[in-house]
Amino acid sequence: MKRIHRILLAAIAVIASIAIVLGLVSLGTASQGPISTVLQHVTSGVSGLESRIVHAFRGPGRRAELTWLEPFREHPDSLRRPDRLMLGAYDDGIPNTLEGLIALERALDVTFPFIQTYTAWGDERRQRFPNRIVEAIHDLGSIPVVTWEPWLATFESRLHPHLPLRDDRDRNGLASVARGDYDFYIREWAGDAAQFGEPLLLRFAHEMNDPYRYPWGPQHNEPEDFVAAWRHVVEMFRSEGATNVVWVWSPHTAYGGYEAYWPGDDYVDWVGTGALNYGTVAYWSEWWSFHEIFGQHYDALAGFGKPIMLAEFGSLAVGGDRAAWYDEALRGFRDRYPAVHAILFFHVEHDDTVTRQALDWSLLDEPQVLETLKAALASEGMDTKEEAR
Amino acid sequence: MRSEDPELWRWRRAAPVRGRDRLFLAALIGAGLLSTVRFADWWFAPAHVAVAPLYVLLSLAIWYGVSRMVLGWIGLLAIRRPKHRPAPEGLRVAIFTTSSPGEPLAMFEKTLAACARIRYPHTTYLLDDTEDPRFREVAERHGAEWLELVGLPGAKAGKINAALECTDEDFILVLDPDHIPFPGFLDRVLGHFDDPEVGFVQVCQAYHNQARSFTARGAAEQTYAFYGPTQMGLFGHGGTVAIGANCTFRREALDSIGGHGIGLAEDLVTSIRLHAAGWRSVYVPEVVSRGLVPEDIGSFYRQQLKWARGVFEVLFSELPRAFGRLSWRQRLTYLTIGTYYLFGLTTLIYLAIPYLYLWTGVQPASMAFVEFIIVGGPVAALGAAIYLYSQRWLCHPAMERGLHWRGLALKVGSWPVYLAGTVLAVLRAEIAYVPTAKEARRGRFFQLGWPHLALAALYLVTVGWTAYRRLYLAPEGMLFLTSEAVWGMISFASLAVLLVGGAIHAAWEARSLPSEAPWDGVDPDLIGEQSSDPARRTAQRESSTP
Repeated sequence: MKRIHRILLAAIAVIASIAIVLGLVSLGTASQGPISTVLQHVTSGVSGLESRIVHAFRGPGRRAELTWLEPFREHPDSLRRPDRLMLGAYDDGIPNTLEGLIALERALDVTFPFIQTYTAWGDERRQRFPNRIVEAIHDLGSIPVVTWEPWLATFESRLHPHLPLRDDRDRNGLASVARGDYDFYIREWAGDAAQFGEPLLLRFAHEMNDPYRYPWGPQHNEPEDFVAAWRHVVEMFRSEGATNVVWVWSPHTAYGGYEAYWPGDDYVDWVGTGALNYGTVAYWSEWWSFHEIFGQHYDALAGFGKPIMLAEFGSLAVGGDRAAWYDEALRGFRDRYPAVHAILFFHVEHDDTVTRQALDWSLLDEPQVLETLKAALASEGMDTKEEAR
Repeated sequence: MRSEDPELWRWRRAAPVRGRDRLFLAALIGAGLLSTVRFADWWFAPAHVAVAPLYVLLSLAIWYGVSRMVLGWIGLLAIRRPKHRPAPEGLRVAIFTTSSPGEPLAMFEKTLAACARIRYPHTTYLLDDTEDPRFREVAERHGAEWLELVGLPGAKAGKINAALECTDEDFILVLDPDHIPFPGFLDRVLGHFDDPEVGFVQVCQAYHNQARSFTARGAAEQTYAFYGPTQMGLFGHGGTVAIGANCTFRREALDSIGGHGIGLAEDLVTSIRLHAAGWRSVYVPEVVSRGLVPEDIGSFYRQQLKWARGVFEVLFSELPRAFGRLSWRQRLTYLTIGTYYLFGLTTLIYLAIPYLYLWTGVQPASMAFVEFIIVGGPVAALGAAIYLYSQRWLCHPAMERGLHWRGLALKVGSWPVYLAGTVLAVLRAEIAYVPTAKEARRGRFFQLGWPHLALAALYLVTVGWTAYRRLYLAPEGMLFLTSEAVWGMISFASLAVLLVGGAIHAAWEARSLPSEAPWDGVDPDLIGEQSSDPARRTAQRESSTP
């Protein structure tokens, strides 16, 4: 073989091998290899195919009750400026089953356009982008709302030697996020969210102004570091092409001072907050009405000029009349709070995140509360069925 | 290849073990071990435990299989082919072959004729308890001594021990009557007795009837690797196992352990006792005889039940006694062999898991299917690669090479038999010693196939019910989220049914099998003579290389 031929052959071999490597890499997502990605496509494909077949036999099912939501599901931008009030819920069967959520829907005679799930940051598989559950929510015709909690200390030091030791991570953790220390995780998540492709509301680092509850609160971080971290995360999603993600900025109204945490108009699509009545379960709590919890902050929240989401809405039964609480909250709601465009029930049977004793936010055992709620939702025109008609 | 094919009757020898083969094999095994470590690290993550008792069962089943595979790899690391030693002149050699009532006379015609052609001077003895004068007549016609040994306990081994009493040759080749020896047989083995510590020399067990049915082929496939790379590895580790047939013993060695062992797995008993008594063993990976493998699934199951029960008996009663006197590698070898038939129990676990999930929703382990493939895949792939690579040391690669899927199908299909063997052994229930059938026996389809047909029926009902349930009944909120697990389990169940389908086919085949005897077409003049004289030829070759 002539020298020129040899050189050519060698060059072709080099180019071909580079092409093979790049081809394989491009098959995968940010952190998943090509085989995982292909297998994930296979399983998603099987589930999707089965769903289509089943719906061909049974009729469209739940999705038919949400046909009015289709424009929102097709264009994330319309989700940024909604002209309707969306109901939704989180149920603690999620992400393993949506049956509890559907049971709540039946009891209330509504079909939720929004379904919420929670995921924490970390190395484990369940801390990756929650592909299965958001696909399942989409398959049911709804739009997923994902609350994404930056528990920085869950990452294993062994796997991430560049991070500070676990005990030191939370102090100024958000500055560390803003600096890019956690890009390895954020990028993967953003890539997977972009791959999902359907609209998705993302509520990142909620209640950032609460100094007691979460490590990303002001006890460890300065407000400007929160803002920097938020912007860094949003920018990373945008650079990964995750334009399907709609951003929900979600302070805690009880602690005030949240204006300092505002990341700016261009970085936020919704303003969210919780409205949970803990009744008399704890020394720091008493029976507050919905208007006491939320009403006094409404104007301030509406002032950000974004649609408002009540991301966690509910009352315990301890210390007052639960049915009356819901009734009072919802009567005349639209007129009082026109900027609120989403109410998400916090439907959790065992909530041990706040108190030592598990709290029961579930409604299914209380027919009277359910009846009251059902009536209030219907009379306020919040049951989406009304709108569908 | 049919029995009359001259290719079958050539002398053959496994390929030599070259340095680079060993290096490549070691690299493959190293990779296999690494991927096994990774698989174990992943498998035993606490997050994977869903239902603890079931997780334990599934883990035992999986790791029973994986650890056997790993032990096999470690065996292969020592793979060795002994250097041929020419047989010295003047040794006194006996060949023992046994006949029992019901065994076909024509088979003895061939075997005894072939014995008469064995070149090294010897005496052939027919150990006969048929009480049929024609057997004596055949023996005498072929120059064999006829010994009538009726009514002895201990079946074949009992007759061998009785014959040891009334003969005095120093070396005894125990030849199963369905095995037709080549003329060079004794020349290939006797040289190894130069070493006074060698107690027995085992040769390859090869067959000439495997092409005659699916069952025969599958049964033969199960043995190819054992009589090639596996036994060569055991030889390298100092623990060649004696297999009843085709084994040549030193009389002194048998005397030292009080004669040939008795029991359903008499060969294994003898092997353990000889090793425990300090005798060394040699494996000669050469085809110097060919015999019969069961042709019908009924005979195969009966043979497997006998072995399963017998091997467990050895595990329970023989091995503990000899344990202290064996080398640790021999202990490992015999433990591995002694637990082979637990495969029935582990197969039952594998079979049950998808049905348990599909009918009750209970899953033993919570593992992402994708991760299982990614972490377990390399172990399986390297296992297959090592299995295929080591096939270069089969005794007759041209015929024996392959994926051996029929062998696997028969092994999986034998699970009820193995399980029965396990249970009978634990309960200490006895089964009778019956020589494995030498001719195909017709069997009733349902009688032979019912466990597998029952499984297939369960499978169809389950698939049908699952499809119906998913189409019409499954709540919408669960459908999408359970889809991966449900269809993954269905695939798993399908794979099992596909494998068991081999056993169903074998049961169907057993309704009508060739009626002519497999040895009819064998021409004694062809045997071993085709490629000139094997003994002399290799003796020349080996003496010419320094």
